[in-house]
Amino acid sequence: MTTFRTASARRALTHILLLGFGFAYLYPFLWAVGSSLKSKLDFLDGGLSLIPPAPRWENYTQAWQEASFGTYFMNTLIISVVSVFFTLLFTAMAGFALARTTFPGRKIVIGVIMVTFLLPHGYTIIPVFDLVNALGLLNTLWSVIIVQVGGGLVFGTFMFMAYFSTMPRELEEAARVDGAGFNTLFFRVMLPLAKPMAATLGLFTFISSWNNFFLPLVFTLGKPELRTVGVGLYAFTNQTTTNWTLLCAGAIISLAPIVIVFVVAQRYIVEAIAGAVKA
Amino acid sequence: MPTTQLDRAHPAGPAAEPPRRPSVWRRVRANGWSYAYLLPFAVLTGAFTVYPILASLGYTLYDWDGIGEPTDFVGLANFQEVVADGYFWNSLANAALYTVVLVPVQLVLALAMALVLNNPKLRGSTFYRAIYFLPAVTSIAIVGIVLKLMLANFGDALSAPLAGLGLIDQPLQFLGDPDTVLWTVIAIGIWNTLGYNLIYFLAGLQTIPKDLYEAAQLDGAGRFARFVHVTVPGLRNVGVVIVFLAIIGSLQVFDLVMVLTGGGPFFASDVVNTYVYRQAFGQVGTGVVTEPDIGLASAASFFFGLLLLVLTAGQMLAIKKLRARKERT
Repeated sequence: MTTFRTASARRALTHILLLGFGFAYLYPFLWAVGSSLKSKLDFLDGGLSLIPPAPRWENYTQAWQEASFGTYFMNTLIISVVSVFFTLLFTAMAGFALARTTFPGRKIVIGVIMVTFLLPHGYTIIPVFDLVNALGLLNTLWSVIIVQVGGGLVFGTFMFMAYFSTMPRELEEAARVDGAGFNTLFFRVMLPLAKPMAATLGLFTFISSWNNFFLPLVFTLGKPELRTVGVGLYAFTNQTTTNWTLLCAGAIISLAPIVIVFVVAQRYIVEAIAGAVKA
Repeated sequence: MPTTQLDRAHPAGPAAEPPRRPSVWRRVRANGWSYAYLLPFAVLTGAFTVYPILASLGYTLYDWDGIGEPTDFVGLANFQEVVADGYFWNSLANAALYTVVLVPVQLVLALAMALVLNNPKLRGSTFYRAIYFLPAVTSIAIVGIVLKLMLANFGDALSAPLAGLGLIDQPLQFLGDPDTVLWTVIAIGIWNTLGYNLIYFLAGLQTIPKDLYEAAQLDGAGRFARFVHVTVPGLRNVGVVIVFLAIIGSLQVFDLVMVLTGGGPFFASDVVNTYVYRQAFGQVGTGVVTEPDIGLASAASFFFGLLLLVLTAGQMLAIKKLRARKERT
């Protein structure tokens, strides 16, 4: 009886500690939600309280429209979705070619992939900036997309190459017997089988693209209407008179998609991260 | 200089090898689709990954403000300038302190939490894991701005009563005070990326066979003895990778510092990557105006990259040695 009691007491204590610590852990997020619904006066009065006395939902419409977070949101969404699409397409294609065919020069390509993993990358933003400028893409959303995609293909190609090389030869032979050419084999047979890999890579590309701060910061310096949520928020704090409650509403708008993606896909995200150290 | 991978993938290279049957040219022609599939990858990676690495290496040899073409060749003078620059060493020392404090504290916390959450009898461990991972998956650029605002409020709210008690003589400014700024940034850094290490440790704990614990228990090993003799050896392989990733990641901190302080006040939280950013783009937020110097920025970045490479190689060797020793025993 007593052991049962102490065991359940210990369990309850564990939960209390985990919840208390968890509350403290999420406090900044909860504080931002609370502050985003306060009036300016309530914000100044009760700086640390979480509950707004009278929720002001119009802060959100104001942040979306007047503070341009609607524009920033759409910019970020376009950049992220287009980046995910091209990253997946190009890495899957390259990974497939490298894994399933032996063509002259294959080893050289794999060698270059390995070397770029190891080489110190230096301060590459300047040549990248010059290149984008030479292509005439400066001050367009494409600048951020092309740089993000172009800089992130090595890892994905490597992952797809490893994934495709584990697929059985018989599968390919059966498809060939059925008269499938190179393209049919890739788009109809191999790519559908690589869905788990594509989902994981797509998820991480989306998150890192949405969270990217440095590239959009550099490439939207001259054009405020192209800012992403992160850069927009950063610029918002540098204004002479900052409206703090709108800032918090803008932060929540900026964070919401990633929090939703995380809640929905938590299992896959955690599994993929865990896989990184197990191997 | 702009060698794309396509150039390298061209049969010119392999042609030097002894001729095979069928001929190289024939094999190239037969694999047309393979090259077509590689083309977008090769062009984009060549342009946006390989070329920038080589170009930035070239810039280290010029005195160049980023406008026009680099023409003022100075040899290794930029590297000499970096090595002689006190601000560079200050930023390196800050990055090192950030790493030396953050890594052990964060890893001990993450391991302790992983041990608690790994208990199969504990309900809701997925929920708790999600809570502690949330900061890691959200953008630190955005969260950092919220934290900056929150800390200012915290400072104001705490300062009044503390000043009333006579404990402090000026308002608390966590990020505005050169004495406290780096410690505040470190605390936020620990909070921010702890979730990754929690997941790594949980993954590591799950690789330890359950019967090892049962066997130890049968041998009369207590909770602590089981931790020391089963958990710790079982985590060794995963552990070295975790430590390695944490060190490399912490030394390269940028977004967090950039958003919270820009390296200031008075360079008290300046880390290598904010130093390099300031050299490349001019003044950031440290109160001192600097002119852009791409050559110096590239040299500093490359020098730092080499330091990281040496560190990586050293750690790789240590991991290999550790594994080899383990296999022998």
